[in-house]
Amino acid sequence: MQVLPVLARSHDVVLWTDQDQVSPEVHAIARVARYDPAAPPWREINNGTISIYHLGNHPDLHAGVWRVSTQQPGIVVLHDLCLHDFFFALSVRQGKERAAYRNAMERWYGQEGRESAEAFCAGGVSVQTMQQNFPLTREATRNSLGAITHCGRALEDLHETPACPTATLNLPYAAAGESPYRAWLAVRDGVPRPPYRLVVFGYLNRNRRMGAVLEALAGIGEREQFRLDICGQLWDESHIRTEIERLGLGSIVSLHGFLSGEQAEQKLGTANLAINLRYPSMGEASLSQLQFWDYGLPTLVTRTGWYASLPEDATAFVRPESEVADIQAHLRAFLADPGAFRVLGECGRRSLKNHDPESYVDAMTRFAAEALGLSPRVSALALARRVGGDLTEWLPAAGSPYLLERASKEIYTAFEGRRH
Amino acid sequence: MKILVATSGVPFIRGAAEILAGSLLEELSEAGHEAELTVIPFKDYPPNRIPDQILACRLLDLTESCGIRIDRVIGLNFPAYLIPHPHKVIWLQHQHRSAYDLWDQPAAGGLVHSPDGPVIRETIRRADRELIPEAEAIYTQSLKVSDRLLRYCGIAAAPLYYPPANALLFYKSPPADYFFFPSPINAANRQWLAIQALAQCRERVRIRFAGEPGSRTQQAECVHAARKLKLNDRIEWLGGVSEDRKRDLYAHCLGVVFPPADEDYGCVTLEAMLSSKPVITCSDSGGPLEFVLDRQTGLVAQPTSESLAQAMDMLWADRGCGAAMGEAGRARYRDLHISWANVVEKLLC
Repeated sequence: MQVLPVLARSHDVVLWTDQDQVSPEVHAIARVARYDPAAPPWREINNGTISIYHLGNHPDLHAGVWRVSTQQPGIVVLHDLCLHDFFFALSVRQGKERAAYRNAMERWYGQEGRESAEAFCAGGVSVQTMQQNFPLTREATRNSLGAITHCGRALEDLHETPACPTATLNLPYAAAGESPYRAWLAVRDGVPRPPYRLVVFGYLNRNRRMGAVLEALAGIGEREQFRLDICGQLWDESHIRTEIERLGLGSIVSLHGFLSGEQAEQKLGTANLAINLRYPSMGEASLSQLQFWDYGLPTLVTRTGWYASLPEDATAFVRPESEVADIQAHLRAFLADPGAFRVLGECGRRSLKNHDPESYVDAMTRFAAEALGLSPRVSALALARRVGGDLTEWLPAAGSPYLLERASKEIYTAFEGRRH
Repeated sequence: MKILVATSGVPFIRGAAEILAGSLLEELSEAGHEAELTVIPFKDYPPNRIPDQILACRLLDLTESCGIRIDRVIGLNFPAYLIPHPHKVIWLQHQHRSAYDLWDQPAAGGLVHSPDGPVIRETIRRADRELIPEAEAIYTQSLKVSDRLLRYCGIAAAPLYYPPANALLFYKSPPADYFFFPSPINAANRQWLAIQALAQCRERVRIRFAGEPGSRTQQAECVHAARKLKLNDRIEWLGGVSEDRKRDLYAHCLGVVFPPADEDYGCVTLEAMLSSKPVITCSDSGGPLEFVLDRQTGLVAQPTSESLAQAMDMLWADRGCGAAMGEAGRARYRDLHISWANVVEKLLC
C-alpha cells in the first residue's frame, strides 16, 4: 500500500490475486483481478506491459505468485532473500514427494545441495543450517526478467546474485506529515515516567527473538521501570505465555494480538522504545522499522541482514552472539539517558526521506523498462540450454566446440541486439 | 545467376505463400536464371520453439553449392528471410504477425495465450530488427506490410506488387447467380462474416466458397452456422478447387466477396480484377484496400454483417453496376503496371 497509490497515478495497474479477501481500500486504487494459479488467464495477463511479482516466505500468500512467475517472466520483488523455507513448504504442499525441492537444491548447489536436501527431509539437518547454507534465492528468480531487492548488502552476503538484472531499492514508505509527528512526540513527552513503554510489533515468528527479549527484561533489576507491549501474531503464543509466567513478567508484559490501525497508532504514539530483532534474518527489509521511525521511536535491531545496513545514528544494534547482554545494556543506557535514545528516533525519522514512494516508483519504472529491453535474453538462454543439451547427447566432445561457438554467436547476434 | 528463393512453409498446407514462391521461381527461370526453392518447415507451437527455428535458419550456409557460388538469396517469409547470405534480398511477404499486429487477435494463434508469449514476441521482434537490415535490399509485398515493418521495426521498405499466378489465363464470362468467395477457410478470412451477412440480405443472394479449411473445426463451425441460419440452399462449399476451376468460378461470378481481417496483400483482389469482377471488401481488410476503389471497382463495406449484406444486395440487384465496376477494375489493374518483369528486375538489381 506504500507503492500502489503512487504507481496507479502514472500507470494502468491491474492487481492480480488468488486470495479470497482483498482490502476494500485496494479496490479504490486499482482494478483487482483474480486468477487461478492452476490455469491463469494468460491472454489478460500478457496484455500488461510487464508483470511484477511480489515474493516472500509465506506459502499461503506467495505460492500462486511463484507459480505464475515461473511461467511468465516478469520482475520479481524479493521481500525475503532466504527462501529455503518457502520452497520446502511449497514442495511438501504440492505433494510431489519433495522432488521439486530436491531438484531446486541440486540446480543451485549441485550434489551437495541434493544430499543436504535429502538429509533435511530425513530430519538429519536443522532448518537453520539449511536456511543459512541454501537460501535458494536464485530459484525465485530463475525465469525472471529482473529482480528487485530492498537490501543489496544482504544479497551480496548470501552469494546468491540472480542471473537476471537486479536493482536494490530502498523499501518505500510514505511518512506522516510533520504535524502528526509533533503530536505523537507531545503525547509521548506528556506521559509521566517511568515506567517506559517498550513495544514489539508485526508477525512475531521464531526469528523475532521473543525469548531473548523476555530473558533480558527478566534479568535486569530495573525491569519494573519498563512495560512491554507485544502486538502481533505470535508463532507460538502458549510458549510465550509460559515463558512470561516462568520469568515472573506477568505484570510487565502484555500480549495484544493483531491490532487495528487505530490501536496500532495509539500504541506506537505512546511507546518509548521499539524492539525489532531478527535472527536469523531472511534478508527481508522491515516495514515495521520504517513505521517505528515514522513515530520517531528509537529502536533496537539485530546487526544482521538489512538491519545491519541501517544508519548507525538512527538505531541501537544488538549482536546475535550476545543478544541478551546487549539488550540489557541498551535498556540500562535508556534509563540513564532517555534523551540520547530520543535523538536516535529523530534521526530515523529524518532518514525516511530516503524511502520516498515517488522515488521508488520512478526507479522501479526505469528498471522495468531496462529489464523489458533484455527480455529476449530469457528465450536466448533457454535456447542455448537446449542447443547445449542436444549437442551433448549426440556429438563427441571433440566436435562440439565448433558447433557450440557457431550457435552461441548466432544466438547472441539475433537476440542480444548488440550488432548495431 | 544462381538464385535461391528461401521461404517457410507448413508441411501439407498449400496457400498463397506457396503459390507466390512457385510463381517467382518460374519467372526467375523465365528470365534466364538458375533458380531453386528452399523451404524451411515451420511450426509455430509451442511458442518457445520459435527461437529454435530462427537459430536453425541462422546456421544454414547458402553461400555455395558443390563449390559453386550461389549469387543471390531471396527471402520471403519468417523465419526463412533470416537465413544469412552476403547478397540477400528480402521480399517480405509476412513477418510472424502474432508477434506484431495480430498479437491479441483471436485468429492469430496462441502467442498471446502462452505464458512466455511476451518474451517470445520480443525475441521475434529483436531478431527481425537486428537481422532484416542485413539484406542488401528490402521490399515488401504491399504497402500494408511496409507500414507494419516501419512501425514495429523502424525499417523502411518499398512495396513491390506482383501479379497472381497465371495472370494471363483469367477471363470474364456472363455472370451467373452467385458471388465467389475464394480463400482458405479460417477465422482471419471471415467466411463467418459473409454467412451472417447472407442471413441479412434482402435479395436471395448465393455464395460459393472455395478453399481448404484451416482445420476441421473451422469448417464445421461455418457449416453449422449456415445450417443454423437456414442458408444451406444459398451456400456451396466447394473445398479446394483446381486453378482451371477457380478461374472458371471467377469468370462466371457476379462479384467476389473478400472481407479478410487485415490481409497483407490478397491476390484474390487482383484475380477478381483480371476477371473483370467487382470486389466487395471491408474497411479493415488491409491489402485489398490498396486496389479496390469504393464504388468504382467494387464496394468497401464496414466489417459488420449489416453493411456487408447491403453491399451484396446492391450488386445482386444492379447487375449493370457490378459489370461496370468489374470493367473498371480490369482497367485499374492494367494501369498499375503490375508485372513479374518489374518484380524480377527489382529483386536482382
